[in-house]
Amino acid sequence: MSPEGGYHKKILHVDLTECKTHVETVSDEFALKYIGGRGWGARLVWEHMKDDVNPLGPDNIIVIAPGPLSGLYLPAAGKTSFCSISPATGIYGDSNLGGMFGVELRMAGFDAAIIKGKAPELSYLWIDDDDVQIKSAVKYMNMGSIETEHQLREDIGDETVKVATIGPAGENMVKMACITADWGRNAGRTGMGAVLGSKNLKAIAIRGTKDLPVADLPSLTRISDKAFKKLKQHNLFEFWQRQGLMSVIDYANASGIIPTHNFMDAHFDKAEEINGDVMELNYKIGDSACYSCPMACSNVNLVKDGKYAGTVIEGPEYETAAMFGSNVGISDFDAILRANYLCDEYGVDTISSGSLISVMIEAYEKGMVSLEDLDGVALKWGDDDAIMDLIRKIALREGVGDTLADGVYGVIKRWPQLAPLISHVKGLEQSAYDARIAITMALGYATSDIGAHHARAWPIAKELEMGGNWSLEEKADLVIYHQTVRPLFDMLGVCRLPWIELGFDENTYAEFYSAATGIEFTLDELLKRSDAVYNLTRAINIRLGLSRVDDKPPERVFNDPIKTGPHAGKALNREEFERILDIYYQRRGWDNDGIPTNETLKENGLEDVIEYMEQRRAGK
Amino acid sequence: MRKKLTVIPERCSGCRVCELVCAISHTGVNNPKKANIRVISLYPHPVIKMPIVCEQCKKPKCRDACPTDAIVKNDGVVTILEDRCVSCHACVNACPIGAIFVHEDIEIPFKCDMCGGKPKCAESCPKKAILYVPEHTQGQAHRLGAALKYANMQEVEYYEHGVKKKLRYAEIETGGTRGDSE
Repeated sequence: MSPEGGYHKKILHVDLTECKTHVETVSDEFALKYIGGRGWGARLVWEHMKDDVNPLGPDNIIVIAPGPLSGLYLPAAGKTSFCSISPATGIYGDSNLGGMFGVELRMAGFDAAIIKGKAPELSYLWIDDDDVQIKSAVKYMNMGSIETEHQLREDIGDETVKVATIGPAGENMVKMACITADWGRNAGRTGMGAVLGSKNLKAIAIRGTKDLPVADLPSLTRISDKAFKKLKQHNLFEFWQRQGLMSVIDYANASGIIPTHNFMDAHFDKAEEINGDVMELNYKIGDSACYSCPMACSNVNLVKDGKYAGTVIEGPEYETAAMFGSNVGISDFDAILRANYLCDEYGVDTISSGSLISVMIEAYEKGMVSLEDLDGVALKWGDDDAIMDLIRKIALREGVGDTLADGVYGVIKRWPQLAPLISHVKGLEQSAYDARIAITMALGYATSDIGAHHARAWPIAKELEMGGNWSLEEKADLVIYHQTVRPLFDMLGVCRLPWIELGFDENTYAEFYSAATGIEFTLDELLKRSDAVYNLTRAINIRLGLSRVDDKPPERVFNDPIKTGPHAGKALNREEFERILDIYYQRRGWDNDGIPTNETLKENGLEDVIEYMEQRRAGK
Repeated sequence: MRKKLTVIPERCSGCRVCELVCAISHTGVNNPKKANIRVISLYPHPVIKMPIVCEQCKKPKCRDACPTDAIVKNDGVVTILEDRCVSCHACVNACPIGAIFVHEDIEIPFKCDMCGGKPKCAESCPKKAILYVPEHTQGQAHRLGAALKYANMQEVEYYEHGVKKKLRYAEIETGGTRGDSE
């Protein structure tokens, strides 16, 4: 099968050490088997990695991969994945951002880029269609992400150039550093910004002018026209444009799953002061959409008065508002916007930094760290000045910030007593959905290939809806279903929100992909490929030493019952969790240690992975 | 009754659906850089997203600038005649709003032709930021915006790097029409 569209079948290779670039033509088989986006990314990481890889060493690669649907005329076609070995977790990591950046890479004629090595000085990559250059970025050293993007466009002399960049945090290899594009769109999780920083790569600027290959454009247009119409007719469509993900604050608080005071509680009594209505009425000055997206879920906000007046930022969305709101005890939306702005400008993930800052507040409150540990600054819930200061210290690795910048494992190494306070899986701080009332969410976090991240599986809404009376088998299946369908969106290079939020039929994506490639695909076939990628990232992690003991939710979900709200008194049962984990492994086709069986790998067409897994089973 | 395209930048989210549908219907390829309309996004302060589309001027500067008389106006639509055009791009430079475009793959400059009276951009804009309205209502958006600005305009003072600055903006949600930013 040879796709007549969807792909340029070209990967740009950049070796920063050698200061060389070349273009690889990929086979049809590779293109279709791993689809694209994080599917390609995972496969390329598997092929290029060494078992003793140092995530911040020159050997580690980072793959930039939009998908075969990125840039095409269909709803929300603007996602790009960054895949690598994560410096935060030491295992496979990826993160994606929306907007225009990945589309521009595709328009320059590349489906993906692989970056390896380390530049001798701070550099940026300039991709002007086929012309690729590595240029000095010394003048942008320590410059914020938003400012760098601005300055680079001005220096290149083209306002339409698309830029992805790291801030000072990435340069300082802060393990929660993100990659930022389109002035504040972030690939936030797993420290992808630190990987770029370790390579001395400040930014990537792209100008692409080429047509995107589509096998059957009239069909694609016809399906898309219908798809856009359907989305616009949804009764929540307009509300989505107005509040986007900020509407989740009310939902999460009412459902008793909003992280509060470092996940000690799951209900915030001041949630109404930081919700979507507050934003819409007092702060919102505009909408912002990813490429070809009618939902425009991003909100541009302005702080009009007070000490943060003049702060303009695209954001927050739910996660940021919760992590820098309820989770650190802030009920002032001005301060949330400021924290969002600082994180974007310094290039720090809001979920991870919000989480570790809340850990320090709780630790200090409980007398588990001293004032000296905090550089003499007392911490308390809702103290926005101290919190802003901590964001800066993390990014610049100052004082206590230097420890926080080393992520979960860095904090535990210095203060082992704080381990029970940190909500994380495999070193990645938990997203802003509490898991104590939803075993599916806990299982999703525990078995996620990158750590405790909600985008891999978000079964919590369904579990809340279903109530208590359904079997662990069904629950495990729901998690596996999420872990199969959600990554597919990342592989295709599109956003999952039209599906999850506006009930858009996932079968349509098979139609889009068929029209793009000219080959008939069913959703089922695509999901099988997605499943294979999940097994592949599992295999990467097992190669890197992961085992069953790492598949556990944050300790807090077992030990500390929720204090207030609709689920007060509830916590997760440890034995029940072990039971569902057994069931999950079984249904995934993994052995009892969580290693994919040979049959499973064969079914997935991952024959070359079997040898590694055999070695692991033999205890080598 | 003659109709014209008008844009309300405050509504624009910068999604570029207009560019895509325009390019697909005019050139048959998936390439927003071959569209007859462009969305310009500027940042940071305040955020501006502005669709640029040909105004089909009554006295087109592009026509005046054309050395080979390749630009004509028929039925309210300014058109570039392919056989007369020498691709000197004088029209591109003469257009006061930058609504004539060039692309390496396309020999002659290109611009909006109003899709024969059913502009695809206006039809597909998910935010209703591009409207196809009777000519006599042109300026109404500005007038409304001016009135709203008078009624709702607020000023904020803030400090940037120690320098006192002022920011003015029109209330967008209440008006939904052209406001002003500076």
